[in-house]
Amino acid sequence: MDRRGFLKAGMLTGALLASKLAPAVAQGGGLEGEDVAHLEPALQKALGKSFKDLTPSPAVKLNMPTIAESGANVPFEIEVNLPKDQVKAIHLFVDKNPSPHIVKVELGQAVPYYASRTRMAETSAVRAVVETQDGKLLMASASTRVTVGGCG
Amino acid sequence: MAIRTLARLTPPKPKAGDTFKLQVVAQHPMEPGTRKDEKGNLIPAHYIDSVEVYFEGQKVASILPEPGVSANPLFGLAFQAGQPGTFTIKLRDNKGDSGEASVKLELA
Repeated sequence: MDRRGFLKAGMLTGALLASKLAPAVAQGGGLEGEDVAHLEPALQKALGKSFKDLTPSPAVKLNMPTIAESGANVPFEIEVNLPKDQVKAIHLFVDKNPSPHIVKVELGQAVPYYASRTRMAETSAVRAVVETQDGKLLMASASTRVTVGGCG
Repeated sequence: MAIRTLARLTPPKPKAGDTFKLQVVAQHPMEPGTRKDEKGNLIPAHYIDSVEVYFEGQKVASILPEPGVSANPLFGLAFQAGQPGTFTIKLRDNKGDSGEASVKLELA
């Protein structure tokens, strides 16, 4: 193959790769252990909304370990940088768990903050979803690698 | 059987207007319903499904855990200190057991 042919072929593969990557990025950043198809029914049940209705937002902060020693006990912390009268509820979802919905926290007088521990069956993406008073759904995602599963 | 429940504040004596954390720990197996015993039978789900926090008799927050929460769970919330008073936390699991704890909020 001469130089020109080689370049052309290279560009073609590049374009192909880009078109293949694009949908993965559109679905939320290509996190490790993502499983939107499995998450979808849980979102429908808990919120009545689907994954594409969630807006990733920098106001929501989800603190998770990158690697968890035990899937039976993974600490997490959710902080929301919004006034407390704007936040209605906080949810946590783990994509690959047998039941992805972990917890719903209804905040009455509390400051928008929640810390707890969750079980994780395997390496998965984790989502913190915040319901605001005006009906918006804000999301923060993180990914935790699990060495020993905690659901079975 | 009652669920053993503990509650504490950090810092223990916040200043008025400051944000402090309320941490609740319950002693509970939190069976998710997906685990199997030695014979391969599923262990039925047994987990805390409601945590309600009252301040001076008024409900201020509630947590609805699903089966995915860890054994001996910790529930951490944050509040802004206003008046002194008492927090009461009421837990209930899906088999009808309940637990209760209370902690006094004193201002520095």
